[in-house]
Formats: sequence, C-alpha cells, structure tokens
Amino acid sequence: MAISRRSFLKTSTAIGTLAAFELNLGAKSSLINQSSKLVPSVCEMCSTRCPIEAQVIDGKCNFIQGNPKFNANKTSVCARGGAGLNQLYDPKRIVTPLIRVGQRGENKWREASWKEALELCAKKLDEIKQKYGPQSVVFTSKSGESHTQMTNFACAYGSPNIFSHWSCCPITYNMVLSHTYGSGLSRDYANAKYIVNFGHNLFEGLVISDTKKLAKFASKEDAKLLVLDPRFSGVAAKADEWLPVKPGTDLAFLMALIHVWIRDEKYDKKFIEEYTIGIDEVIKSVKETSPKWQENITGIKAKDVERIADEIWAKAPQVIIDWGHKTTTTKAEYQRTRAIAIANALMGNLEKRGGIFFGKDAKTFNKLCGEELFPTLANPDAAFKIPKTQRIDGCGEEGHKHFFISRKHGVLMDIAPAILSQKPYPIKGWVNTRFNHLINVAGTKDTIKAIKELDFVVSIDVYLNDFSNLADVVLPEATYLERDESIQNKSGTAPGYYMRNKAIEPIAGTKSGYEIFRELARLMKIDQNYTWNTINEYRMIQAKGNDKLVADLIKDGYVNWKVPQVYYREKSYVSKFVEKYSNAAQFVDENGQMSSQIKFKTPSGKIELFLASIEEKLPGEGSLNTNNMDVYGGHEFCLMTGKTAIHTNGHTQSLPILNNLMSFSPLWINTKAAKQKNLKDGDKVILKNEFGEVEATLMLTEGIREDTLFLYHGFGHITPDLTRSNMIGTNQSVILNPADGVVCGTMVTNVGVDIIKA
Amino acid sequence: MKKFVMIHNENLCIGCQACSVACRNENKVPDDVYRLQVHIKMSGTFPHLKSDYTRHSCVMCEDSPCVSVCPTGASFKTENGITLIDDRLCVSCKYCILACPYDARFVDPITKAIGKCTFCYENRLLEGKEPACVSVCPTDALVFGDALDQNSEVSKLIAKKSIEYPKAYLNTKPRLGFIKNTKGGRYE
Repeated sequence: MAISRRSFLKTSTAIGTLAAFELNLGAKSSLINQSSKLVPSVCEMCSTRCPIEAQVIDGKCNFIQGNPKFNANKTSVCARGGAGLNQLYDPKRIVTPLIRVGQRGENKWREASWKEALELCAKKLDEIKQKYGPQSVVFTSKSGESHTQMTNFACAYGSPNIFSHWSCCPITYNMVLSHTYGSGLSRDYANAKYIVNFGHNLFEGLVISDTKKLAKFASKEDAKLLVLDPRFSGVAAKADEWLPVKPGTDLAFLMALIHVWIRDEKYDKKFIEEYTIGIDEVIKSVKETSPKWQENITGIKAKDVERIADEIWAKAPQVIIDWGHKTTTTKAEYQRTRAIAIANALMGNLEKRGGIFFGKDAKTFNKLCGEELFPTLANPDAAFKIPKTQRIDGCGEEGHKHFFISRKHGVLMDIAPAILSQKPYPIKGWVNTRFNHLINVAGTKDTIKAIKELDFVVSIDVYLNDFSNLADVVLPEATYLERDESIQNKSGTAPGYYMRNKAIEPIAGTKSGYEIFRELARLMKIDQNYTWNTINEYRMIQAKGNDKLVADLIKDGYVNWKVPQVYYREKSYVSKFVEKYSNAAQFVDENGQMSSQIKFKTPSGKIELFLASIEEKLPGEGSLNTNNMDVYGGHEFCLMTGKTAIHTNGHTQSLPILNNLMSFSPLWINTKAAKQKNLKDGDKVILKNEFGEVEATLMLTEGIREDTLFLYHGFGHITPDLTRSNMIGTNQSVILNPADGVVCGTMVTNVGVDIIKA
Repeated sequence: MKKFVMIHNENLCIGCQACSVACRNENKVPDDVYRLQVHIKMSGTFPHLKSDYTRHSCVMCEDSPCVSVCPTGASFKTENGITLIDDRLCVSCKYCILACPYDARFVDPITKAIGKCTFCYENRLLEGKEPACVSVCPTDALVFGDALDQNSEVSKLIAKKSIEYPKAYLNTKPRLGFIKNTKGGRYE
C-alpha cells in the first residue's frame, strides 16, 4: 500500500489524538493510587512448582508471571501457571465444606461449617480405628507439601497405607537413578551436544527451567536432538531427527545401542573401571541384542542404530540420554530406564559439562567450602514414622514383589482390588487430598465399585471433582495463591530455597493442607508428634530460628547465593570454585578434578550396572533383560496417552480460560489406518479390550504410527458439578491393565485395544 | 522516539499458549475473542512431517490500513509506531476490521468497541514493562524492544537473523516479524 496524502494526514491527526489519549489515561491512572503489590510465591498448577510472582491490585490477584529472581525461569510461566488466578476466582470452586446427603455419587450435598465437617471426619475416622484398626484407612495424595502433611496425619493416625501419585507417573526414574547412582541426578541440557529423548515431552509437559534449556538446545545448529516417540509430539516437532519407534520398545533400541558401543569398544572404559561395578553382566545381557535384532521389534533400521551409536560416542561426554519423567509405557519400564542409566554411564558423562550431575544443596556446599556458609534446614516432621504394619500393596515388605517400593508412595493400582477382595485385610475408609484417582489410575470401574463399599470417604479439593463426588465429606482447600507454606529446597548447581507465600487471604475461609490436617489431628487427640501449631512455627523450626532466611523468603520468594557452578570432573570449573573458596583446595585431586567428592549411596559405593540387591530378591531383574516389552496383548492398536501444555492431568479441564483453549481431547489415529477401517474424522468409536470399553471421537492425522493411537490424558470426567468437563472426552484409565511393571510397580499407560465403530 | 518491534522465533515457540493466557488475563479479553493466538499446524506425510507455530495478532503496520480507513480517527498510531484505538471516538463501524489484512481486530462482545493487540501499551509499556506475552513466554520465543536502539536485544536479533514479515507484499511494513520454522521431518 503506497503512502497516500490522506493516510499521511491521518497519521498526523493521530498524533494529536495521542495526546488526548494519554491525558485520558492520566485520568485513569488511579492505578497509581491503587494498592498494588507483587507477592513472590510458588506455582501449583502442576507438580513442577515454578517460582512465581502474583500481582495483587486492591486485594485481587490480577496477573501471574515467573519470579524474576529465579534465574532459570525469570518471568516465564506456562498457560496453566498463568491461569492460576482463574482457578482462584473460578465460580465452580468449592469454598464451603460439604456433607453428602444423597447416595454416594448422586451429587447431593449440604453445606456445613468447618467445625461440623472436621468433627464428623474425626468421629468417623475414630470409629473405624476402634472397630477395624488404623490400617483400614488408605491415604492418597498428589506429591508435594499436601502429601507431606497427609503423611504426618496418617502416621499419627497409625495407618501404613499412604500413597502418592508416584506409581502412575515418575516412580521409575526415581527408583532407577537411586538404585544405579544412589540418588537423583540432573541433566545439563544447556551445554549438551547430543540429547537422546525417549518421548520426554518437555514442550507439552512443561518444567519451565528444563523446557527453556531444551528449546534453546533444539534451536542450536551445532547440537543434535534425537527423539524417539510413536507420535509426532511437541518435542518430536523440534527434533533434528525423529524416529517413530514402536510403542514400548525403547528398551530394545537402547540395548542395541549398548551392544554396538561394547562391540566396537566405543565407551569410556576408564570411567567404567573407576566408578562402576557389573560391566561384565551388561556385556552378557547385550550379547544378542544387535541392531539387526531390534529392527523387527522397534521398526528402526539397523543401520540407523549403528549410525546413532557412533554419533553419540563422537559427542561424549557432552551427551544426555534422557530418562524422562512420566515413564509408564510398559511393564519393562524399570529395565528401560536402567538401560538409560547404564548408557549414560558408558558415555562417561557424569559430573561433566553438558552431561548429568548431582544436585548440590547447602549441606554439600558447606562441606566443599569447609565452613557453614549456607543455611541448612531442620525437619519439623522428624518424629513421624510410617507404621511398620502390613500394607495392602506389600511395599517395603520382605518376600513381596513390591519390596523395593517406598512406603511413602505405594502402588495405587492395588487399592481398589484390596478393598473389593478384603485382602490382605478389610479397608473401611479413604482420605484423599487433591488426587483424582478415577481419572489418573487404571481400573476406574473397580475404583468406583470399591469406594461404594467403604464406610467413610473424605476428600480435600478445590473442586467437586470425580473423586470428591464419591466422598462423604468434602473439605474445600485454599488454592495455592491463598496458602503460606514451608521452606523448600531449590538447589540445582548451587544451593537455593523457595517458599510459597499467600497472595491473598483465603476466599470464604478455605484452609490449607497444613491447617486441615493439623486441626484434625488436634481434634482426634493424636497430635503429640506435632512440633508446631501454625505454618509460621513450622517455617521457623525449619530455618532453625534463622529469621532472616524466613524474612528473605517472604520478601523475595526465592533465595540463593552466588556460588560458582561446579562439576566435579571438570578441571576448569573446579579451579574457579577453589579460587573463590580456598578451603575447597583440599578436595582437589592430582588431575585438578574433585573426583573424591563423587559419592554413590549404593550398596557397593559405585554406579551399579548390575544390581545384586535386586537380583537376590527378584531373580533375573538385576541385569538388563528384554522381557515384558509387549504393550499390544494381541490387539491391533496400542493406545498411548500424554500431556498437553494446556491442562494438568485430571485437574484443570473445567477451568474456563483453559477449557476455552482446549475443551476436548480426540483420539489420534493415522490417516491410512483409519481409511483401512473405513473410519472418518470425527467418527465416534469404541475402544475395547479385556479390561473394558470406552467411547472416543477420532481425529485423523499423519502424526502417529499406523499401529498406535493417542489421547491427551485427563478427559472423560464423571463429575456432575463441573458441567464444562462432565462426560466430555475419553478417560483412558477405564481400559488400562491394572497389572504393574516389574521392580518399580509402575502403572502401565500403554495398552492394547481394538477399535469398533460406535 | 522509539520503534517498538516484536519478533516471534518460530523455532523456539512450542505452541504452549502461555502467551495467550497471559494476554487474556492482562488485558481482560472477553471469552470467544482474542488479541493473540498461536496456531499449530502439522503438515506432510508420515513420517516426513513438520509442525509450524504461527502467531496471529496485530502486526503493528507502519502504514496501517485500519488507521487509514477509520472515519473518526479512533484508530491511530502512537509516535512509537503502536496502533491503538481510542474507545471514545470509536463508533464500531467495523471498517477497520474489514481493512485489516491480518484479521487482527474484533468487536468486543461486551463493550461493542473494537479490540486488538496493543503490545500492552497502556498497562505495561507505559510502566516500562514488556508486553505480557513476551514476559511469560517459557522459551523466550518472543523478543520485544526498540529497534532504533542498537544495543537492544531486538536490534541484535534483527542484525543476526533473517526476519520475515507477514504479507510483506502488501507493503504495510509490519513491526511484528518472524523467524521462520526450519524444524521438522525425519532424518534419512
């Protein structure tokens, strides 16, 4: 468009208008007179817990962004995080305790005072304890501080049956890293040269600090991101190479990689010799797992595996073979993640820039620096011990297949069968906080049946969600924007802490998990192990009376100290560290590294490529094996699920601002596969297998293998109060196999199904 | 005087919609209309695929058809090149909606005035803050700043990367530019 005289004139008049406009704005600028503050806090719209800053104008939360003091995120926040204020003000939130008046699930309630509701909970829980013993109440929660507070209460009450969401999400990598390396590890995405990603979809299941680094990594020209995923996911779309691997078969690909590295002697022999045990067992287990062997299993050409093995070795140790987060694809998940842990060790990338490293907290740094420079925390909950009585899932119990699983986290799929069979003993009550068992755990139908058998069910939630709808008492929890909570460790490459501060006072007097469980324990007179009464006391015990730390965390939300990053096996980092902290010189070895500081809390004190402890109790699982990879079970398709960037598991589907962005989750099917079955876009189909059947609506796409189906997890609610999400979309848990994976008891979310036109 | 420019790096964008939620909350955008959207479009044939992530919002043309056609002067440009609407002068005749080649304007269902992206001019820029979408972007795919300041991040980006402007052939000279997607497909 050429500039005409008319438009030129228009522009000049426009500038005239601008003055008036700004004048007008000046009048509007009562903004200046409004009370406006920024409250640093911690997000809870998913499990990541990003540091945030809530803008509060005249007592109303107006905007949420990242806390700029936290450098890894700065002001970034995702769609869910930004929608936190919309949850806070969602008219569908429950703010008054509810007591059921109709049948379970009938959605008939009466409002009650907190006093009445808590007294009813106390009375019912006491009755169950008297009649059946405290072990007959199960406790479920998502992880985080609500889980900690629920665990305290369960211990005080006397039940060992405590569950977190671990078994349906991150249990595998947590267990594998601890078994192999003795503790958790971090990934240096920012400095890597090559990343192998097995569907760790950080671009839809966002962890902002990692997402940011991985996105920047992916956009580099001199680095390679290799993604294996049966679906063209968000992370696959940014990859340098995408391999549409057959569902459940990552393990075969990994074992072929390891086979090539060992065959060609392309691995860090010095590292393996110095830091590991069990290489001979690895050599034995991958003898037959050649690239050719995996070809028919994974669908990836042998020559591609050969090439990739060479590519990775050429970039080692600046390589990350990513173990992912929600790794629940097959019963062999433990072995898959073990193979990843072993592959990393073979590349010698531990404590190397661009590799993997141990998170270093205040205690570690104090030791390295030779003085108490950084405050450490005390544990106000130390007196609470999980009862040693028998659990319904056998976790931590001698002779049980779940021996290795933490008694704090448990195996969720075992709850409903235990209730229905009354084995190993009758279960009579269920206490739940913010976990939607019906959407998130396999065997939804049995769960509903089981809940109906119970004497008493209490649910703490923000919404009248699926599980709460089946409860007897629903206690409305304050949202995270209305809660003061404890000090949490936020150390990565350097020590740091952060803390949730309430942005506004709780609407209509809703209560935090700290308050609810504390009050309940007091009412029931089982609170002798509580060392604190209020959250402020809790914080001060944690801080060991260091009121400056608490004050700084109230003011800034996140506190850290300028400490140079250190990778123990990187000379240049070590020397910079010693320059600043001269006492650390004592830990420097003759290579200029700090390898003496690398400590593995494993039975052998080394990286365990072979696990004697596992082998002893679960023969055959101590070394890599190729069992249990199949996820089809004789069916035509494998149905997978994954996360969307818009919603969090089963929690946010009804939230207006997010519902408007994504109100539905259709079933992905490959165009060719659909045509063969004469199915069209938008067709309603039934997904059917031996575990049940469920309806879905098709979306034809090129972005998935012909033998695979995909759903975004979290839809298919049966919660009449939440009309926006009720009965919309597909709940995959209805047709999942409730049997769990070996060693780590993971819930398997890949399942074989057939499709029938509805 | 400043020349405010926004660059959307399509290689860094992951289509997470954080910008969209931030925009809605910051600007109190009513349901069913939007100032900003990011569209994700997959194309190709399995397994040779790519996904493009494109931002749809006002592109802040230097030569704005919406301003040219506005009969009341409600649509105007600030001296820093930001196209705005003065609600007091807007008669909701919708000429600007028709004139906009970028489909970036809408009728506010509540006020009936015309709405659009403002780069958060009055609520953030005047306070020295970046637009809400830029501030929250998890992958820093959005870069905003003064293109006349050679030291600004946006100037450095423009100097380094090839920037494309939407519907450049219309010669409206947008101040929203894109670094085009190069990702996708399968290694062969």
